[in-house]
Amino acid sequence: MTKKSTISISDEIIAKLNILAMEKENVRSKLAVVAEELRFKARQLAVTAKEKESVRRKLAITAKEKENIRRKLLITAKQLAVTAREKESVRNKLAISAEKLKSFYGTLEKKVFERTKDLEMARVKEEAILLSIGDGLLATDEKGKIILINRTAEKLLGKSSTEVIGKIFSETILIEDGKGSSIKLEKHPVRMALTNATTTTTTTTAGPVYFYVRKDNSKFPVAITVTPVILDGDVIGTIEVFRDITYEREIDKAKTEFVSLASHQLRTPLSTVNWYSEMLLAGTAGELNEKQKKYLEVLYRSNQRMVELVNALLDVSCLELGTFVIEPEATNIIELAQNVIDEQKPQIDSKKIRIKFTPERDIPIMQADPKLLRMVIQNILSNSVKYTEDGGKIDVYLKKDGRTGKSIHIRISDTGYGIPKNQQDKIFTKLFRADNVRNKDTDGTGLGLYIAKSNVENSGGKIWFKSRDTGEHTGTTFYVTLPIDGIKKT
Amino acid sequence: MEKLKTILVVEDEKNLRDALVDMLLLENFITLEARNGKEGVTVALSRHPDLILLDLIMPEMDGMTVLKKVRADRWGATVPIIILTNLSATKERQVEDMEEHKLVHYLIKSDWKLYDVIREIKKILKISND
Repeated sequence: MTKKSTISISDEIIAKLNILAMEKENVRSKLAVVAEELRFKARQLAVTAKEKESVRRKLAITAKEKENIRRKLLITAKQLAVTAREKESVRNKLAISAEKLKSFYGTLEKKVFERTKDLEMARVKEEAILLSIGDGLLATDEKGKIILINRTAEKLLGKSSTEVIGKIFSETILIEDGKGSSIKLEKHPVRMALTNATTTTTTTTAGPVYFYVRKDNSKFPVAITVTPVILDGDVIGTIEVFRDITYEREIDKAKTEFVSLASHQLRTPLSTVNWYSEMLLAGTAGELNEKQKKYLEVLYRSNQRMVELVNALLDVSCLELGTFVIEPEATNIIELAQNVIDEQKPQIDSKKIRIKFTPERDIPIMQADPKLLRMVIQNILSNSVKYTEDGGKIDVYLKKDGRTGKSIHIRISDTGYGIPKNQQDKIFTKLFRADNVRNKDTDGTGLGLYIAKSNVENSGGKIWFKSRDTGEHTGTTFYVTLPIDGIKKT
Repeated sequence: MEKLKTILVVEDEKNLRDALVDMLLLENFITLEARNGKEGVTVALSRHPDLILLDLIMPEMDGMTVLKKVRADRWGATVPIIILTNLSATKERQVEDMEEHKLVHYLIKSDWKLYDVIREIKKILKISND
């Protein structure tokens, strides 16, 4: 390599190196710019990073809060879940209860329906029973307004329920007596039942008969029973049962006619026997020897007994038919009793019975039917005489009631056979005779005490007795009380 | 001597009528007989007896009608009449009738002895009982 070559080469290289250096400078400056840019970017990045960090931090905080909230929410959610479960359980329970209630309600409704139906049926049945009763039936409220009338009543009165219901009984259904005059309001059975709160009954055959007036103004005899309806001690209405007694009255009339006919027919032959025996005994057909006289006396006495029996039977028939005319008048009971005793004196004396009659001094004149009063004393006394052994004692005692002064007490006691305990309840029964006297005495009809009791009761009095049947001769005591101011008309 | 009294017996039952008539004759009465009510009225109004014994239940005409017919007559208005019957006086109508027609006595045959009937007649006619 020559020096020139070498210098040329070196200049080249220097040129080249210059270029290179220039290029390097260029690059360097470029790098510096880039570096600057990079630094700027780095700064920017740093800022961004800072912001990011801040955001990140903020985000971290938010996240924490979120976490907190999330936790809280979680707890709440858990709680809610529990509540929800509880609610669900309650709801379930409620649902079950509701179901039960529903079914219960259904059953209840069914039961109510059935019960209502039953009640309705019962009511309809009861009403049907009431309305179908064969007697007339009328019910009123406490003011006497008609609230019910049955079919028989409608038919008997010729009035329909719509015509009478809600109307005042005494103004709607008219009652008359046998003479055709209206019954006074205070005597109206419904009115009487309402005011007195006691059952009121009209008589059927004896005494005054009431007539109901039909719609067409025709009348029929009626038997009425009105009963007050009492609830908790208050009269809340009345119920009346009545029936047409036309037929009963016809029968009654026929019976009365029969009795009068029988009395005539039965007594005529008895009178004949009586009178002819009497004439024979009196010797009108010539003197009789002792034996003839004795036989005839038996005939006569037997016939007398028959007369008494017929009389007793007629008395009973009249009593039962209510055809006795009770005629109260001023009666001296002391005198009357004395007369009865005197009448029976022959029998009393023949049995050596000691009789004591002790009327108190203050016995007033009383209002009584002497026929009936006589029958009462006669029947009791003749029993005492008949059923007391020879030598016994009979006590007849009269006194005025010490407490009220309104009644007379009669007491007839004897030392007779007494009435067997087991037959004492039958002693007033018609045709009944106690065993112990049937064996001893064939006399007696079994009617006397029945007649006595009927008479006493028809007179508004009472009759009873005391008797011991322990051993013989313990005796019987009969008691009778009668109102002084009169036998009430029946 | 007292004038004999005439008694009319109106009775349909022969046995009873005979008994009464026999007794009355024994007791010195003059007797008239009637077998039923109709005869009774005829005899009574034509013969004017001193007293009439009158049955109630009789054929032809009953005793009550006889009573009314006799009482309607001027003479008959005051003649004593004894109703002698076996009918119990239970019917109110009869009692009323008897109250209207005064001087009527009412006896139940079977309750009365023949002698008591005679005594009653003597009492009414004021004849002393010997």
